[in-house]
Amino acid sequence: MREVSRDRIKAFITLLPSVVLIGVFVYGFIGNTVWISMTDWRGGAALSENPVKNFIGMQNYVELFSGFLDGRFRQDLVNAVYYSVLLLVGAVGIGMFIAILLDRKPRGEDFLRTVFLYPMSLSFIVTGTIWRWLLAPQGGVNLLPTYLGGKALDFQWLSSMKTVLLFDWQNLFPILLYLAAFVLILLGLGKLRRDPSRAFKHYLVPGVVLGAVVWLFGDLLPRALFMEEEHGFNLATLGIILATIWQYSGYTMALYLAGFNGISQDLMDAARLDGASDFDYYMHVAIPMLKPITISAVIILSHISLKMFDLIFAMTGPDNAATGHPALDMYLTTFRANDFAKGAAIAIVLFLVAGTFIIPYLVTSYRQRRNAR
Amino acid sequence: MKNSLAKLLFVVAAIAVFGAFPVQAASNLSGDLEIFSWWAGDEGPALEALIDIYKKENPNVKVINATVTGGSGVNAKSVLKTRMLGGNPPDSFQVHAGQELIGTWVKADRMEDLTPIFKANGWMEAFPKGLIKLIGTDKGIWSVPVNIHRSNVMWFIPANLKKWGIEAPRTWGEFFAVADGLKAKGIVPLALAQNWTANHLWESVALASLGADKWDALWAGDLAFDSPEGVKVWELFGKVLKYTNTDAPSLSWQQATDMVVDGRAAFNIMGDWAAGYMNTTKKLAPGTGFGWSASPDTTGAFMFLADSFCLPKGAPHRDNAVAWLEVLGSREGSDTFNPIKGSISARLDSDLSKYNAYGQSAATDFGKDHIVGSLAHGVTANEGFMNDFASVMEMFLKSKNAQAAAKAAQQIAVKNGIAK
Amino acid sequence: MARVELVNVSKRYGDVIIVPGADLEIKDNEFIVFVGPSGCGKSTILRMIAGLEPISGGEIHIGDRVVNNVSPKSRNVAMVFQNYALYPHMTVRDNMGFSLKMAKRSKSEIDEAVNRAAEVLELGQLLDRKPSELSGGQRQRVAMGRAIVRQPDVFLFDEPLSNLDAQLRTQMRRELKKLHMKLATTTIYVTHDQIEAMTLASRIVILKDGEIQQVGTPVEVFEKPANVFVAQFIGNPPMNILEGIFETSGGSPVVRAGGSVFPVPEGRVPDLAGGAPVLVGLRPDSIKMGENVERLPKEWWCRGEVVVSEILGGQSLLEIVVDDNELIAEVEGRIEAQPGETVPIGFEFDRMVLFDPETTKAIS
Repeated sequence: MREVSRDRIKAFITLLPSVVLIGVFVYGFIGNTVWISMTDWRGGAALSENPVKNFIGMQNYVELFSGFLDGRFRQDLVNAVYYSVLLLVGAVGIGMFIAILLDRKPRGEDFLRTVFLYPMSLSFIVTGTIWRWLLAPQGGVNLLPTYLGGKALDFQWLSSMKTVLLFDWQNLFPILLYLAAFVLILLGLGKLRRDPSRAFKHYLVPGVVLGAVVWLFGDLLPRALFMEEEHGFNLATLGIILATIWQYSGYTMALYLAGFNGISQDLMDAARLDGASDFDYYMHVAIPMLKPITISAVIILSHISLKMFDLIFAMTGPDNAATGHPALDMYLTTFRANDFAKGAAIAIVLFLVAGTFIIPYLVTSYRQRRNAR
Repeated sequence: MKNSLAKLLFVVAAIAVFGAFPVQAASNLSGDLEIFSWWAGDEGPALEALIDIYKKENPNVKVINATVTGGSGVNAKSVLKTRMLGGNPPDSFQVHAGQELIGTWVKADRMEDLTPIFKANGWMEAFPKGLIKLIGTDKGIWSVPVNIHRSNVMWFIPANLKKWGIEAPRTWGEFFAVADGLKAKGIVPLALAQNWTANHLWESVALASLGADKWDALWAGDLAFDSPEGVKVWELFGKVLKYTNTDAPSLSWQQATDMVVDGRAAFNIMGDWAAGYMNTTKKLAPGTGFGWSASPDTTGAFMFLADSFCLPKGAPHRDNAVAWLEVLGSREGSDTFNPIKGSISARLDSDLSKYNAYGQSAATDFGKDHIVGSLAHGVTANEGFMNDFASVMEMFLKSKNAQAAAKAAQQIAVKNGIAK
Repeated sequence: MARVELVNVSKRYGDVIIVPGADLEIKDNEFIVFVGPSGCGKSTILRMIAGLEPISGGEIHIGDRVVNNVSPKSRNVAMVFQNYALYPHMTVRDNMGFSLKMAKRSKSEIDEAVNRAAEVLELGQLLDRKPSELSGGQRQRVAMGRAIVRQPDVFLFDEPLSNLDAQLRTQMRRELKKLHMKLATTTIYVTHDQIEAMTLASRIVILKDGEIQQVGTPVEVFEKPANVFVAQFIGNPPMNILEGIFETSGGSPVVRAGGSVFPVPEGRVPDLAGGAPVLVGLRPDSIKMGENVERLPKEWWCRGEVVVSEILGGQSLLEIVVDDNELIAEVEGRIEAQPGETVPIGFEFDRMVLFDPETTKAIS
């Protein structure tokens, strides 16, 4: 008994410094940022020795989401969603595809693996500079067709002002509800096979009803803004997404390749004997088996896409709102415009978005570990 | 704070007692002097020349030349913020003269009033009145300008214009008259680069549309941004934009200038650092190789921006810093620095023989024109407004809605304490 | 259900020859066990039959087809692996139904086949579990279930029991045998464990260095080993091998080994000239002691000195020196002999095997 309690004391003392440091420098500062985001710390006097900070509640957040002047933040938020989705689809898809090709053990596999992994060792600034050159309107990628005898492209990779998939921020609430309905229906269809009654009761019916209600009575919902404000997918972000995918698909390739190599030869043989073609093997055996790898790739890539900063800075500059990102906006708002309070609010919004990705992941992995025990 | 105020009083008293503060006293100075700037590379030699003068006068002072590179001081400004907020200010730092300093550091009560130094050195007369008004507030004068750049200049290549059979337009009306013809020939009438150059073009257009007096009124808060005149500015700007190149956001200002030099574009509105670029890098002679005029409809107005040095409260070597500012403001210092930097002196009594053809012409205009401040380069508006204005500009470039842009500009002006 | 035939099947990796050329005919419904030390090529031959390993020469027939260029999935064979090779992300049900799913069978058909196999193997309760939630024996059963579901022509087993503990292994061995009786499907089974081989096989194939040493029923390979290798590989403890000289002096043929003279019974007399060197093989269980000695003809009696004796429950294991020849004897009953004690023993000389010392092959 005494042995045990002494062990506990030792453990406590050993952990104490890191607990204190993390408490102060991580959670303490998060708390401080939350506090700042609820003040009016901004403007000329913000830099004086004892700046005046008045508590103003959620006003900064309200402004960010519905204030006339913060349209840029909202566009940035929309951009961040597109950056995340496309980076995930692109980097996971391409990385997986290259990994499958290399898993077939072609000649020179070692060399190719290094080639594909190499971009990851570059810093974003270097990647950004290289791709800015490659994507210049009269150079690089746009000239590729001329080598095949075609006409040069004139797509403005980084400066296009075209926007597709436009939606009106005014209609934010109906859009969110439609999205929820869509997700419910999708989940319901997924569960239909396993448990039809539950699928109908919990997913399909509520999803359809929600969609119908919004469609019929959506006009009654409050408007998020007093005027139209269109946001969408800016084509100028394509260049940046391309560069990010280029940089990170090698990384997902390495993750998957390691995973594929870890699958025993017997399992592959078993699948072949069971009549699986190569495609079936990857589709039904190898890729589903690597679900944990896919999940960690998604987590890592999505938090990278939430921290996008230097690449955008290097490729399109800080003031190109079409390609903006909340992280960049946070920096500019805080340190260029001296609006510390709103900068903190943006930081907290980003923090919460990152949380929605990571917390479910942590919870499930914690549960798995507990179950495994 | 009380302490520094007492120090300041003491210095003022000392000036009053000893009368002549500068040269005699300076020679006894010792210790360090840390100068913080973003002048490295091309601009480094000009700064070095000033430091040489300072060292000659104050042989016992060790000068620490702290530079943080990055165009327009983007990086330097954030390092400076860290140092100032951390209670470790340099002895003197570079800043764009005007609201960029006033709106941030003067408002934060971290700067010393330099009025006594201006008075003691007779600078109140040496610098133009309009300039002193723009670099000061009713509470004092906050920095010593070391150079003057002009923002509202239109650049062209005379040989090219001759080839195309046109002349440099003096008004926007004349510009539009020739622009369609140029466009038909496949020539970009007006070369534009990435976003900040759009702001730069906007201020020249606004100055043309409003005139110098109303421009001043705008920044004094006497004219609203969303007034009919304000909306007209955006309308004219929108019209001008139609004659610019479409790939602008991916170009640097040098590349836009190159378009003019190569004959791909006819004109470019840029600050007069473009003169230095064309003269030094492109080896074109001012006046013959390249030509200039005030940007359309702004003849008689000189939209300036200036680099200046200032004195933060709590500077560790205050006396050395004061001596440094005196070198900067002196005629000798000014006429040593500016010919190398490619700018003109802020003083009215500079020795014009030291400057090239462009410098002489600009200096003449500076002496007689109505001097107004630049927005894009931090003279008329504080950092908060400038940051927000970048968003308004973005919105306009996308939507081309003059009414909305004017409204938005008024909102940010109110928010940042410029309009009432 | 099909017969399998190997005609001069060989396997090389570059210059390394794994299997020089194997000929074997496996009859329909037979349970064939490949046995041999590790590296003898038994798994390679199995994988070549499965089609997982291309062959370097020869022909493989399954049923009436030559399957040299037929892909594994089209050979209609099913394999059970040593480490079970279950798909870890699928439930037992999905694991077992996977091959049918790949064959694009209807869902009801798959369910029916899986349920039937689960019934045979008593896996009904486990169908919705993942492999990680099963014990080793259960996983082994699922692996077998996966093979059964497809109703293949040939079952292939690659050391399926070697990852199980001894007790479970014995139990599973028996179940396998019952399963084979129930399904009556041609089965090829690879193991390094000669007890599994002896108990399961209808015929045993003994391999060494890629070459087939002998093919025969368990009794055949035990009693009439084709060579010294087989004699010593099959049976535990291994056969006693003594160097001797064949003589026909005095009318009756004998083998002189050390100080002993062993009479060669009729039917075992080799076609050799007198004075030829031979190797004499005597199974440890062909040595008798105690009252069993008296049941043997008198000329097969002699005396031996006990070196060590171990009692294994109902049997005893002894090391005995007979006229300078060291022999291992496995005898019925508990023999409590002191070391150094000289006891009467008898040999079942009619089970004696003679080998040529040069080729090590049995002399018939």
